[in-house]
Amino acid sequence: MNRVKLLFFATLRDRAGAKSMELEIPADLTVQGLKEKLSAEYPSLKDSMSSVLITINREYAFDETVIPDNAELAMFPPVSGGQGHFPAASGQNSLPD
Amino acid sequence: MDFPTIFSITEDEIDLNHLLAKITLSSTGAAAIFTGMVRGETRRGEAHDTEYLVYEAYVPMAEAKMKQVADEIRTRWPVIEGIAIVQRIGKLYPKTPTVLIACTAAHRDTGVFEAARYGIDRLKEIVPIWKKEISPDGEFWVEGDYVPKPGE
Repeated sequence: MNRVKLLFFATLRDRAGAKSMELEIPADLTVQGLKEKLSAEYPSLKDSMSSVLITINREYAFDETVIPDNAELAMFPPVSGGQGHFPAASGQNSLPD
Repeated sequence: MDFPTIFSITEDEIDLNHLLAKITLSSTGAAAIFTGMVRGETRRGEAHDTEYLVYEAYVPMAEAKMKQVADEIRTRWPVIEGIAIVQRIGKLYPKTPTVLIACTAAHRDTGVFEAARYGIDRLKEIVPIWKKEISPDGEFWVEGDYVPKPGE
């Protein structure tokens, strides 16, 4: 088993109800596997998993990436530091690029 | 290469003059500066008012990705001299500058405008910063739609 730290930001932090958690995961677990594990164990996160971004040691990671031991993982929605869209929840009227 | 590159996440006011001085060399004759501020009244798209925004960042990764944006600018526009990229986080009210990118060069026809434009566009794609909007109608996280590719 590998031991990793998982950080949550923005909507993912709200849904997880925590800023971070420590996890024990199988040594060959992929990012996709982690999403499935979290969906099963934390139903509040399930709906976020299709659009979530995941990083490993502060680099973007992808579904097939195997998670290394002692990794610092993070989960968050697509970034919105600049101008973004008015809430997806209340309209499809997003701004033109 | 000793061209200055500044990148930071801060809770303090963004000080343009201070930053500009740091990226101005004796060979510098032009600076292109973009700054974004909190907009209190949005007219384009779905019109709405904003009371304030709360910005948060995954700070160590955000600073690393700002450095990457600066590196990408230098690859595309090798004539760029200084680069400053600063994001202010925390609770910010309308009219307050939240982000600043400045590029300097010897002359204005060197691509310095395009370099600054590229920088702000990339920041909005790959630098992990989010904002929560607080409006009279409630509060919600603003989410982007860019999905980084391998190597980004």
